[in-house]
Amino acid sequence: MKFLKTLALSAALAASAAFGQAKAETVRFWYHFDNPANPMSDLVKKFETANPGIKIEAENVPWNSYYDNLYTALVGGNAPDAAMVKLFAQPRLAEMGALEPIGKQLDAWKGKADLLDNLLDLNKGPDGKQYYLPIQYVVLYLYYRTDLFQAAGLQPPKTCEDFRNAAIKLTNAPQTYGFGLRGGKGGWDQWGAFVLSQGAELKPGGLTKPEAIAANQWLVDLFQKDKVIPPSAPNDGFQEIVAAFKSGKTAMTIHHIGSSKDLVAALGDKVSAVPVPKCGNGQWTSYGDESLAIFSSSSVKDAAWKWISFLAEGKNNVAFNGATGQLTVTKSGSADWKLHERRFVEATVQSLPFARVLPQNSAVSEFVNTAWQTNMQRALTGQITPKQMMEQLQTLFAQ
Amino acid sequence: MSRSNHSTVERRTLFRWHSERLLPYWLLAPAVVVTLVIVFMPMVQAVFTSFYDLILFRPNASKFVGFGNYVKLFNDPVFWTALWNTVIWIGLTVPLQMGLGLVAALLLNREFPWRGLARALIIIPWALPSVVIALMWRWIYDPNTGVLNDILIYLSIVQSAVPWLADPNVAIYAIIATLTWQGFPFFAVMILAGLQGIPRSQYEAASIDGASTWRQFVHITLPGIAPVLATAGLLRVIWVANSMDVIFVMTGGGPGYATHTLPLYAFIKARQNLDFGYGTAIAVTFTILLGAFVVLYLSRTMREVER
Repeated sequence: MKFLKTLALSAALAASAAFGQAKAETVRFWYHFDNPANPMSDLVKKFETANPGIKIEAENVPWNSYYDNLYTALVGGNAPDAAMVKLFAQPRLAEMGALEPIGKQLDAWKGKADLLDNLLDLNKGPDGKQYYLPIQYVVLYLYYRTDLFQAAGLQPPKTCEDFRNAAIKLTNAPQTYGFGLRGGKGGWDQWGAFVLSQGAELKPGGLTKPEAIAANQWLVDLFQKDKVIPPSAPNDGFQEIVAAFKSGKTAMTIHHIGSSKDLVAALGDKVSAVPVPKCGNGQWTSYGDESLAIFSSSSVKDAAWKWISFLAEGKNNVAFNGATGQLTVTKSGSADWKLHERRFVEATVQSLPFARVLPQNSAVSEFVNTAWQTNMQRALTGQITPKQMMEQLQTLFAQ
Repeated sequence: MSRSNHSTVERRTLFRWHSERLLPYWLLAPAVVVTLVIVFMPMVQAVFTSFYDLILFRPNASKFVGFGNYVKLFNDPVFWTALWNTVIWIGLTVPLQMGLGLVAALLLNREFPWRGLARALIIIPWALPSVVIALMWRWIYDPNTGVLNDILIYLSIVQSAVPWLADPNVAIYAIIATLTWQGFPFFAVMILAGLQGIPRSQYEAASIDGASTWRQFVHITLPGIAPVLATAGLLRVIWVANSMDVIFVMTGGGPGYATHTLPLYAFIKARQNLDFGYGTAIAVTFTILLGAFVVLYLSRTMREVER
């Protein structure tokens, strides 16, 4: 009898232990921070203290293979529960059926009213549903060297013609060049400022319009004929353009506020920023978005929502952006923004009216990941003409 | 009685004979099973995948296309570019590594102070991870801030910085130089071991007969290390052919398609564009080509070595 009692008791204990374990949910979260200062563990600690039943496993996945890893993990059935995602990936993720709609949770969330206006609309899915919760944003603008411009008696350029003239005047090859173009991976958003501004569009027939081809020709000519861009441009990525700008090799480049801290540390007052020049009749710059999403394969969706909404709330979002060097998505956080010098925030705000995202279709992922880079490099190095480059890229957007 | 005795003995010998014959297979079994599961099964699966139009983010649109991917492949100009780049890549890297390794091994085989230290230091490039090497050389080659151009300009060898990795005519050779630097210690160490196996008496006999250093090298040293060269060469051909990490980190296959090799092209198609059908078709084609080369190499070289 005693033996039976013990047995029953231990069975009950084991059951409650198992039950207790099932109650402590683990949320697997993927993110990418370039910045070595990483506050994620502090945020995780703060969250876990406030939500004792939830454990966060946050993994910093390197940016260069972030989406390769994410898609493979999703297909392989080993996806995280939630992750940082960009808009260009949304159509592909939606096509895979990988995203969990969060519209209901958003409506019930007290932080919704604190999000900057229009952000949720900008992040809507291709089917009109809400999958993305914005977490940070940046806008690309033109960095320039105030000292070099002053010495040459130049004003920061407002139009493409100004831009070209300034670049020619500031070039003294091989010591210095006017503009640091990112011809390698991720340079499509610089290209957009010169080509998408002049009527090129990522849709059938949108890239082979005469004005689009002329705009691309103009940009390639800056490299081949005017020689105002360093010869290394076809292989230059983010690290290279920033290093060249910091070392004084280039006088202008295009990037966002995320690199301002680093540039100010190297150049101090000698660096400032203005919106990208107006080309032809249009002005286009890339709205660099970053959101959080929950995946439909997750078994802990409620806990995952608690975690991602936690990151999008006032103070937490400011801490998050302190690490990425980007801008907060909350009104309360923006009101008292101290992370960046005023001049860079102003250049960002002035750029917002013409900041755009790429259209949402799954060919855009291939354009961003590989096709733009390969064809831009071939055009810059003279293997194909700028016209052929546009025709090649057009094949992606054939239907 | 005698009959049953006889049969027991027979059975026992049969059993012993059986177990002796089976023993090697039992011993090999674990390795074979592991190889089957982690090498051959994925290989067979890759062959199957290559007959399908399979794009990973459209799993429901997957369909059987037979040799469709292969037909597309042979009509794809990028495939031929990548194949030619692969030939240059292997054809230059392996001989250069072997040549440099041979010179290094001959030097290290001589008596000089601190020889032990030199032998240890020479292994460093081989011991570094490929990604570290690729990043290191990317910065060495950087035209704006890199040290190589600085030195060349300082010595007035070039007038302006050479964009080593951004010029499609130069990029692949720049990466080959990097890989040569990384891989030559492997040859140096292997050849050094071979050199130390050659009996000193042969050199003594040759010098008594009045053979010059060059003739000693050609008739004693080279035949002495020929088996090592053949084996190490084969291993390196396979490794170099398949290695794409250094290219991927240094140029990502660019500018344009200038540094696409077949394994890299397969990787980009399958993993970056998620086109697994086409990607595996490239990989399978390359495996067949490399396999044919290895068979040819083995049959010819091994015959030479045995002679």
